[in-house]
Amino acid sequence: MGLKGNAAIVGAAQYKPEKYATAPRAFHVDQVAELTRMALADAGLEAGDLNGLAVNGPWFNEASTFVPATVAEYLGTELSFAEVVDLGGAGSVAMAWRAAAAIELGLADVVVCVIPQRMAPMAPDADPMAMMAAMRYGGHSTAYGAPEAEFDIPYGHMAQNTGYAMIAQRYASEYGYDARAMAKIAVDQRTNACANPQAMFYGQPITVDDVLNSKLVADPLHVLEIVMPVAGGAAFVVASREVAARLERRPAWITGCGEHLATKSPTYAKNVLATPIGPASAKAFAMAGVKPSDVHLASVYDCYTITVLLTLEDAGFCPKGEGMRFVADNDLTYKGSFPLNTHGGQLSFGQAGTAGGMSQVIEAVQQIAGQAGERQLARCDTAYVSGTGGVMSEQTAIILQGD
Amino acid sequence: MNKPVPVPTDNSRPFWDGLREHEVRIQQCDECQHWTFYPRRHCPQCFSDQLTWKTIAGTGTLYSYTLSRVPTAQEFADEVPQKLAVVQLDEGPRLNSTLKFLDEADIEIGMRLKPVFEQRQDMVLLQFTGADTPIPETENVPEEAQPSEPEASDAPKKQIPCNDIDALRSLISEEFGPWSNVVEVTQELIDQFAELSGDDYWIHTDVEKAKKQSPFGGTIAQGALVQVLQSRFHIPQDYEVTGFNNMVNYGSDKLRFPSPVPAGAKIHMRSRVKAVEASASGTRITLEMHTHVVGQERPSVINDIVVQYM
Repeated sequence: MGLKGNAAIVGAAQYKPEKYATAPRAFHVDQVAELTRMALADAGLEAGDLNGLAVNGPWFNEASTFVPATVAEYLGTELSFAEVVDLGGAGSVAMAWRAAAAIELGLADVVVCVIPQRMAPMAPDADPMAMMAAMRYGGHSTAYGAPEAEFDIPYGHMAQNTGYAMIAQRYASEYGYDARAMAKIAVDQRTNACANPQAMFYGQPITVDDVLNSKLVADPLHVLEIVMPVAGGAAFVVASREVAARLERRPAWITGCGEHLATKSPTYAKNVLATPIGPASAKAFAMAGVKPSDVHLASVYDCYTITVLLTLEDAGFCPKGEGMRFVADNDLTYKGSFPLNTHGGQLSFGQAGTAGGMSQVIEAVQQIAGQAGERQLARCDTAYVSGTGGVMSEQTAIILQGD
Repeated sequence: MNKPVPVPTDNSRPFWDGLREHEVRIQQCDECQHWTFYPRRHCPQCFSDQLTWKTIAGTGTLYSYTLSRVPTAQEFADEVPQKLAVVQLDEGPRLNSTLKFLDEADIEIGMRLKPVFEQRQDMVLLQFTGADTPIPETENVPEEAQPSEPEASDAPKKQIPCNDIDALRSLISEEFGPWSNVVEVTQELIDQFAELSGDDYWIHTDVEKAKKQSPFGGTIAQGALVQVLQSRFHIPQDYEVTGFNNMVNYGSDKLRFPSPVPAGAKIHMRSRVKAVEASASGTRITLEMHTHVVGQERPSVINDIVVQYM
């Protein structure tokens, strides 16, 4: 059962993160086309090779439904596999294993996974106020009958920040809290970003004190423990063993995967500190036949520092309750004892909406391929990549391996 | 301030009806006895559709909380820091709510809680406070809602002649002085200003449209209105500038509107002396005046106003 490891990520493209206000705008279909062209070129493939698509569904600008057909038509490509993914920040990792599964089933042999997250041009008659209003509660539905419209929003429960903050507070009450260790996650990742010219915060090192002195947003989370939303977007190409064999790059084989979700709001989780990444990671490791101690790079979804901490614990990199000590005891940089998010993580690379998780996948692919430049690890044969959507709502893990 | 109001469904109506009678009602499964929140048509434990509404005490413990120091939406700016809580009812289910009548230092995960029934328009919300915390009788009137006049000080004011530049410069400070009285920015005031100034854009004046389409959940005041309302504030100062024939508003070095003021918001102001300068035409004092929605950290108006004494 499970993936056989006969599909690999063989190419990728990623817009450099930019501030929303000054980033170029483009229609989502145009972004998809551009990212697809760039990712295929990176792999050494051509337009005619493409026959599979995974794309994010929510908020796709030019199609409220029928997204894949709209995209296929615009691209001018015939597809034998099409998938819309609606798993928030878990979407990037979720696309990778769906593409691999489709390839192993023989449905397609070159699948592009793509998330456009630059803003689209505004219609000439668009009312910017109405557009802002539509985004007012972010991912929280205001539809009649939506549980969150009725039981969360009236109380002011609607932001991601406060959801993660309440998870961190609960963690503190059960296991204790070392604010300096939590800050160190952001600091070490910033060190990594300073070796990545593509990162939003390249050239801006920070210290633990900088993090702890930054604005307290929702106790205990400081602003430097929270991702900065940026405009961007990314794509990667998954290919079959036969296709990968004729390409030059070292492929990143998708050898294990797992996915888990139960609630949208952590309030209703059976145990908010036993996160879905636990069962998702256990399945991925078992499928790949590797252990956490075999991993050379942990590419951990990091919308907040607390997300990283809980993922390190629940994925099995350290025992439950010892994450802070693990973080304090290890150098998490590309030079260190436990390389974590060597591209800077989303905390320092920038979070391009639901494409944020793409940065974690693409960094693992580049490290395995030996293309990570200054931050290249001496050895990277096995990478663990996690994705997290919502407030620890949906989580997905994959294992990527080089030959 | 147009906070969002829940809209009951056929599934949830008994819950909201109960709150109106100051009772907490949730569902229990007839088959497996599992208690459920939020309301729905099946038991999420055994999928039975045989659920019965029951009145419970509404007491529970604090499962987790955070103090949001940035408003989660503009409508909640007056509550900052918002005391957002996850409450575990004694029957087991958890729910999202907010804590009332508790100081930050008194909030602790695991503490016992009792319900507070909070009127919002025609609905009643379920909030919580400490099991032993007294609930004020004027619970529905927030403290800051009562416009307050600053207390008149009996202490004699320091008199500084307007040509004594050194003495005036000693007033320069990075720290802001005390808060002024509180002024309510009513829709009526906004409408009057719209007529006077011609700025009648719907986001200021069309209450119904703004409820649906404004990113702020309702109408907001014109920035210029909030700016000129600075004349309505009185700030107790311990000094007084003397010895001038005339005092004029010379203009502003800087004027910013960093955050909106929703209709119905209470605002107040504080200021500091930023600069003192002698010029051929008189002494210029720059006051940095910040108008805030009460309880909100981010100012709504920043005005570096220059007053010239001559």
